[in-house]
Amino acid sequence: MTVLASPWRSAARSETGKVRARNEDAVLERPGAGLWAVADGMGGHAGGALASRLIVDGLADLALEGGLTQRLAQVRQCLQQANRQLVQAATHAAGPTGSTLVVLLAAGARVVCLWAGDSRCYLWRAGRLYQLSRDHSLERRLIDRQGLRPQQAARHPNAQALTRAVGVDEQLVLDSLELEALPGDRFLLCSDGLHRNLAPPALGAALDLPLATLAIERLFAQALAGPARDNLSAVVIRR
Amino acid sequence: MSLLPSSAVRPACGELPALVAGRYRIERLLGVGGMGAVYRARDLLREQFGDPEPVLALKTLAADFADYPDADALLHAEFALTSRLHHPHVVRAHAFDLDPASGRAFFTLELLRGPGLDQLLDERPEGLAPAELGEIAMALAGAVAHAHRRGVLHGDLKPGNAILAEDGLRLIDFGLGQPLPGALPGLPRLDRERFAAWTPCYAAPELLDGAPLSAAADVYALACLLYELAAGRHPFARLDARQAREQELQRSLTRPPGLPPHCWPALRTALAFDPAKRRIDAAGLLAAFRAPVPGRLRRWLRLTHG
Repeated sequence: MTVLASPWRSAARSETGKVRARNEDAVLERPGAGLWAVADGMGGHAGGALASRLIVDGLADLALEGGLTQRLAQVRQCLQQANRQLVQAATHAAGPTGSTLVVLLAAGARVVCLWAGDSRCYLWRAGRLYQLSRDHSLERRLIDRQGLRPQQAARHPNAQALTRAVGVDEQLVLDSLELEALPGDRFLLCSDGLHRNLAPPALGAALDLPLATLAIERLFAQALAGPARDNLSAVVIRR
Repeated sequence: MSLLPSSAVRPACGELPALVAGRYRIERLLGVGGMGAVYRARDLLREQFGDPEPVLALKTLAADFADYPDADALLHAEFALTSRLHHPHVVRAHAFDLDPASGRAFFTLELLRGPGLDQLLDERPEGLAPAELGEIAMALAGAVAHAHRRGVLHGDLKPGNAILAEDGLRLIDFGLGQPLPGALPGLPRLDRERFAAWTPCYAAPELLDGAPLSAAADVYALACLLYELAAGRHPFARLDARQAREQELQRSLTRPPGLPPHCWPALRTALAFDPAKRRIDAAGLLAAFRAPVPGRLRRWLRLTHG
């Protein structure tokens, strides 16, 4: 889906995969407003799907006015509100639990990436792939704080456990990264169901395709050719 | 609670469809609670007849919860409690229904646009200005007093359960509510041993000790909320009432600067840990906030808040 008035073109897709009974991911694509997101819900039964949808539906309704700073404040406030609701719901039995989140917000050429958890933001620039977000996972923590090598950390039985997510703590802390987008830049937001199944060269090759829709097609064709045990979601954005 | 006779043959519930009961198109998820989810929906029937505002809120149980055999009865109990109330500051419920294809029960209610008091408190860390506080406190206490008069206990009064809609405050979410003994006979009751059915820092100490929900417990929660609105912080540092009682925090409780002095005795009484000493009801709190402000303060309010 593209909007001609916007300098941004994007495409998004979310799939249940081959094993899971339901899709607990949610994606948001608002090229006209310069806002995109991927949320990967977690928790038993429908709780995860509700959590990711609550976040994405909240962002879908934001009016988004002013420059980047004001827009960022509106996005953060919206996410705090969703976080509070999820935390409160979790105090009652059977409530939903939480969701990872990665957001890309653009105003002009300025871009901010915000995230919590292991959904990722990549940048494809001049033939190179950069991972802009850093996972909030035990695996990442073991590497950063205990100096484990990536292969060792990946073998930890709880390597994929999250150390941060929306809906877990009373106060939501989001990491963020701000940068200037250049013409030709492509951004990829994706859930772990996608990035755990496609190696960086495959991500790069897909992002190198000339249209966001083609990139999405390629990413899903490849990921769905594999085991696809988890839900898969991605948004490709290009300037 | 007891099972309904029909529940034994109730089929397992499916996902909530995009078009509910052939009439309500789901537009977005507005909120989630312990058991249910509230969506914004478009009423296609009303739209067909040219209704300029054919949107409403639609509440249903979360899918995993909907598979409890008695879940529909609980949702209906919430609808029955809500629709018993007719008050400008209580959310209005429209109709209870079943989606035939999915088997999901739901009810429709007025759509509210505006921040919750939790969001308002985020924006006012020092508490509300006296005029704003007075208006919100009277609306809240009035809504609770009305519910109690009609035999309805709310059971989960907290900032997130009051919304500042465009035309004034609304008390929402009677999902943990119960009828007062003798009111609404036959309505199933939530089994509080099965669900952690309260929010710890607003639950009266006797509830945490295992006592049943009562009007006095609602009054305690209401008082915590009013104090928080006046002070910008919870009266007992967000501790649950049992912890606050053990630490004897009541002794150090002082009047929030933003609270009119003539309201303080009523609010302090409502915050008593011992329900026997909580000798005030919601109507009493309403009366305290409604009482005319003594002359000097009134002049000051007029000067500073128009």
